[in-house]
Amino acid sequence: MTETAGLTRPAAGAQTPPDGTAVCIFAVCHAQTAPDLDGLTGHPGGGPVRTLAAGPLTLIAQSVSAADFAPEACAERFSDPAALESCARAHHAVIAAVARGGPVVPLPLATLYLGPERATAAVAGRADRLLALLERLCHRAEWGLKVYPVRSTPPAADPPGPDSAPAADTGRAYLDRLRNRQQERERQHETAWRTAEHVYAALARQAAAARRLRPQDPALTGGSRRQVLNAALLLDHDREREFRDTVAALARDPAVAAHARIEVTGPWVPYSFARLDDEEQERPADAP
Amino acid sequence: MLHEPVAWQPDEGPYGPIGVPLVDLLDRVMATGVVISGDLVIAIAEVPLVRLSLHALLSSVSERMPAPWADSGPW
Repeated sequence: MTETAGLTRPAAGAQTPPDGTAVCIFAVCHAQTAPDLDGLTGHPGGGPVRTLAAGPLTLIAQSVSAADFAPEACAERFSDPAALESCARAHHAVIAAVARGGPVVPLPLATLYLGPERATAAVAGRADRLLALLERLCHRAEWGLKVYPVRSTPPAADPPGPDSAPAADTGRAYLDRLRNRQQERERQHETAWRTAEHVYAALARQAAAARRLRPQDPALTGGSRRQVLNAALLLDHDREREFRDTVAALARDPAVAAHARIEVTGPWVPYSFARLDDEEQERPADAP
Repeated sequence: MLHEPVAWQPDEGPYGPIGVPLVDLLDRVMATGVVISGDLVIAIAEVPLVRLSLHALLSSVSERMPAPWADSGPW
């Protein structure tokens, strides 16, 4: 994503604004979309969530304290789980509210400008591409697809047989058992991975676009086994029923169910497909 | 085997924010989306910071966050 280049550093010459405020931009939508922003608080301590006109587009914006979003402050805040969650949910609440009124291009969490003019200029300068993107996202939603491996057979317990008393449990037998167990785990993971690819391929065929996301940490998902697939699909609204039916059929398929558990989330605002480049198709999230 | 798809606020339209699984949300808001040259720092898309945040989450997430789909009957 070429446009990210340089964005992880302050733009040349960028300084803290003189009055200490910056403008946080949440999203961009069509000018004719009239988002209902009532009741949205945005980021804590910021001003009201409001719209900024940028030609054919509207920005959803909020004045915030620049100091709150300085690199050190960000690093500290986003290392605090509660603050991170509150920030992410505030961001999502604004974008979700706009999405109820029409197609929306969500911007990444904490996209800041030195002032409203600079924000509108940045958007206006990319109006054509943003309009094309809004068109592409219109009448579509994102669905999350996650696949977890299923332990197809109970773990090899290797109960000691009648002739394998502890005394006979040589080091070599022990190592053999360890190796067999490891091989069995690898085989199961491989099978689960293949199953996930099958599921992904079947569902991606129904989608306008599909992307792989980074697998989530098992500790965060509450599961004990690592995902074999974490993906996002961009789906036309009128194909949602077909998608659900396919998911259900895949989940019932014994060849799938024996090896994998499918989890679907959504519909989401199409976060994973709000890109100005054209590389979303099959593009690994962690590709350089 | 299928866990019912996770949906939220089914009565208030498809995009309601309440009950969205945090981990899935972070997948989306931290590292994706259109980036339009910001004037200030947008450091949070940097992988090291995301990792830092997730590591911080690890200690608290499991006891604080029940599985959001455990009691939802989405469809």
